[in-house]
Amino acid sequence: MLTCGRFISSSAATSTASFFPFRTLTRSLVRRPAPHLLSSASAAAATAVELDTNGDGSAGGGAGVVRPQWKAAIDFKWIRDNRDAVADNIRTRNSTANLDLVFELYDQYLTLQKEVERLRAERNAVANKMKGKLDPSVRQALVEEGKNLKEGLIALEEDLVQLTDKLQLEAQSIPNTTHPDVPVGGEESSVLRKEVGSQRSFNFAIKDHLQLGKELDLFDFDAAAEVSGSKFYYLKNEAVLLEMALVNWAISEVSKKGFTPLITPEIVRSSVVEKCGFQPRAKNTQVYSIEDSDQCLIGTAEIPVGGIHMDSILAESALPLKYVAYSHCFRTEAGAAGAATRGLYRVHQFSKVEMFIFCRPEESGKWHEELITIEEDLYASLGLHFKTLDMATGDLGAPAYRKFDIEAWMPGLERYGEISSASNCTDYQSRRLGIRYRPSPSEPPSTSTKKGKGAASGPTQFVHTLNATAVAVPRLIVCILENFQQGDGSIVVPEPLRPYMGGLELLSPKFK
Amino acid sequence: MKGKLDPSVRQALVEEGKNLKEGLIALEEDLVQLTDKLQLEAQSIPNTTHPDVPVGGEESSVLRKEVGSQRSFNFAIKDHLQLGKELDLFDFDAAAEVSGSKFYYLKNEAVLLEMALVNWAISEVSKKGFTPLITPEIVRSSVVEKCGFQPRAKNTQVYSIEDSDQCLIGTAEIPVGGIHMDSILAESALPLKYVAYSHCFRTEAGAAGAATRGLYRVHQFSKVEMFIFCRPEESGKWHEELITIEEDLYASLGLHFKTLDMATGDLGAPAYRKFDIEAWMPGLERYGEISSASNCTDYQSRRLGIRYRPSPSEPPSTSTKKGKGAASGPTQFVHTLNATAVAVPRLIVCILENFQQGDGSIVVPEPLRPYMGGLELLSPKFK
Repeated sequence: MLTCGRFISSSAATSTASFFPFRTLTRSLVRRPAPHLLSSASAAAATAVELDTNGDGSAGGGAGVVRPQWKAAIDFKWIRDNRDAVADNIRTRNSTANLDLVFELYDQYLTLQKEVERLRAERNAVANKMKGKLDPSVRQALVEEGKNLKEGLIALEEDLVQLTDKLQLEAQSIPNTTHPDVPVGGEESSVLRKEVGSQRSFNFAIKDHLQLGKELDLFDFDAAAEVSGSKFYYLKNEAVLLEMALVNWAISEVSKKGFTPLITPEIVRSSVVEKCGFQPRAKNTQVYSIEDSDQCLIGTAEIPVGGIHMDSILAESALPLKYVAYSHCFRTEAGAAGAATRGLYRVHQFSKVEMFIFCRPEESGKWHEELITIEEDLYASLGLHFKTLDMATGDLGAPAYRKFDIEAWMPGLERYGEISSASNCTDYQSRRLGIRYRPSPSEPPSTSTKKGKGAASGPTQFVHTLNATAVAVPRLIVCILENFQQGDGSIVVPEPLRPYMGGLELLSPKFK
Repeated sequence: MKGKLDPSVRQALVEEGKNLKEGLIALEEDLVQLTDKLQLEAQSIPNTTHPDVPVGGEESSVLRKEVGSQRSFNFAIKDHLQLGKELDLFDFDAAAEVSGSKFYYLKNEAVLLEMALVNWAISEVSKKGFTPLITPEIVRSSVVEKCGFQPRAKNTQVYSIEDSDQCLIGTAEIPVGGIHMDSILAESALPLKYVAYSHCFRTEAGAAGAATRGLYRVHQFSKVEMFIFCRPEESGKWHEELITIEEDLYASLGLHFKTLDMATGDLGAPAYRKFDIEAWMPGLERYGEISSASNCTDYQSRRLGIRYRPSPSEPPSTSTKKGKGAASGPTQFVHTLNATAVAVPRLIVCILENFQQGDGSIVVPEPLRPYMGGLELLSPKFK
């Protein structure tokens, strides 16, 4: 995914809220806390207790607290056992996750849970005492006691639910762990992995893509500003052929490598957006929301593709699942004022072909290398000059364990600009999307294999997910126009694209 | 009150002037309110109607042309949903979880089929002198209204963006019509012919109970749209041209279809005349609309503010003043027309259902094969 990482701690409740006053929930909303939330990943095979899977925000809770629509399968025990490493990771990633609060809440949780269990035991004891013949006054006293215990229990159970929700929200904002080789620091600390080609030297005065586009009648930004607003555009004439060629070529090249082609929805439920690690409700969010709806526009096909296997258990033999997905992408670019915004460099809507892999944990490192290699081969074959960077901790974004960005030379804009990004998200997204796999049994399965038991095959594990840009059209159009311009104002079409443009070799002013 | 006056006379005049001014302000406010209300009411008056348009409801639409006939099958046929399932072409269930009902993923050869239909349509239509366009899919709601749609109506087809005056387009007709908003075009530039590719988003609110099976009615789809800006005298001719292009496209795919001259009850406010094409979908056992071609005359251009300056009949004077046009005559409103080249999902329905074979494979229509790497057959054995 192209970088849009912003770390904002998720919760509607303030950090100073205390939970015990929230006692307005009716009994029907009380749920037993799911023990699996606090156990290690391997035991998370049990079906997650989900609140409100249809995402309607659920019933009115206590004053002002937003019930989460879904729960990530957080491994609290692991966090507790690795507190320092987690704290360090949060710091180097400039995350605003509040680890101290998580631990505080976790301790409160454990205490409260013990208390609830103690009260339950007492209530059961009282109920047992009431069996059989009793003196009326003794019975009456027991009934009173039972009633008091029950009321106390209801109140505590409500508090426990609230506490669990808050704990979950805080914990969910803890970013993914980080690959040990990732450089620590901000943008400037990112490390060069590979460089292909070099800056072309021109023997004529070059133009930027906007001027070339104007002269070749390839875009219209002005009309789009009237019709839609700034950072929108029409593509015209050969630019249309160029976009279609880039998309067709990318789908073709990548599917040859065993990726299943997909065309995805561009409207999705906001809960799916969140589960992928984005934040539709944050201030300066990149995400457009649909009015009167819990739906959003996607900023990348990563979201609907990640969602395609949501809440599923995949067979190990099915892995890796490799998809190449084509979609339009919509981004508000809020908060990008002042950042580079010229022409096609930063726009609200664009076409993108995205690669996505679901795989076994042991393999994600290998697939990450495979994805970046595919990208590098694609751009090298177009004749672009670019650098592959191993992004530093401050630039990763919450879901990524490791991220490689490719920045290509754009001579008209006099800069290297990001044209793609390849992230290994390990189990960050799969814990939120609920995507597991069942490891194949090492011995032949027993004749009576029971669905869901898996005694011979072991408990389910979370898959790892990876995503990588094959082509993001507008910035590639910038690269092609600016790098392959000629003195007479024409543009040489990169060879791989010519068959997809009816053989066209040159975009030429004299044909206008 | 100019010139010398007696102070008391002057004072009386000042009083009178003040009263008149206050009265005037009040009346001017009323006039603005009234003008606004008049404008709003008048804007809802639909376009005039071509004299040949049949009068009545849907059943009164008249058959203009019929191409091909219903294929008879010597095996039990399947509908596109079942064919898609067996060939692993779509996923509606996952999309229902991720997005909601009436959303879908296209997979495998269905992706190639969509890309082929779009690429082929852009190619064929641009050969006929249409300028290719890719358009924004988010537009200001005012532009949606100016094209004759109603984003704020109950059961509107239009998705709106939260905290914004923007909407998602239901058709590229909107951003294309808007491309020349508030402009005066030279007559020599006309006709302006565009072929535009976009995704389209429709709420389908109020379509409950209507045919909704599979790809027949969906919230998001790809469409290649033709749009013409022309001189008023020519719009009838361009309407005929557009419907002919559509008929040629679908005939070349081998589809069986009927072209209908839509009756008055079915026109929609902007259309002066509308031709719909309904193609035979054997799996759904029905004719389903796959395209629509409308002549909107000056309905949209009066709202979008699109005029042209007729060329002068005599040579212009040496001092041509911009905007005066004494020699060239006053500006006129252009006429606009729009017509579907391909709306992908329903064509996929047609192709799968009409060209299925007994073994469950699908024959790819010849014109699309070059756009699918030469693929001639979608076949179950390759899954």
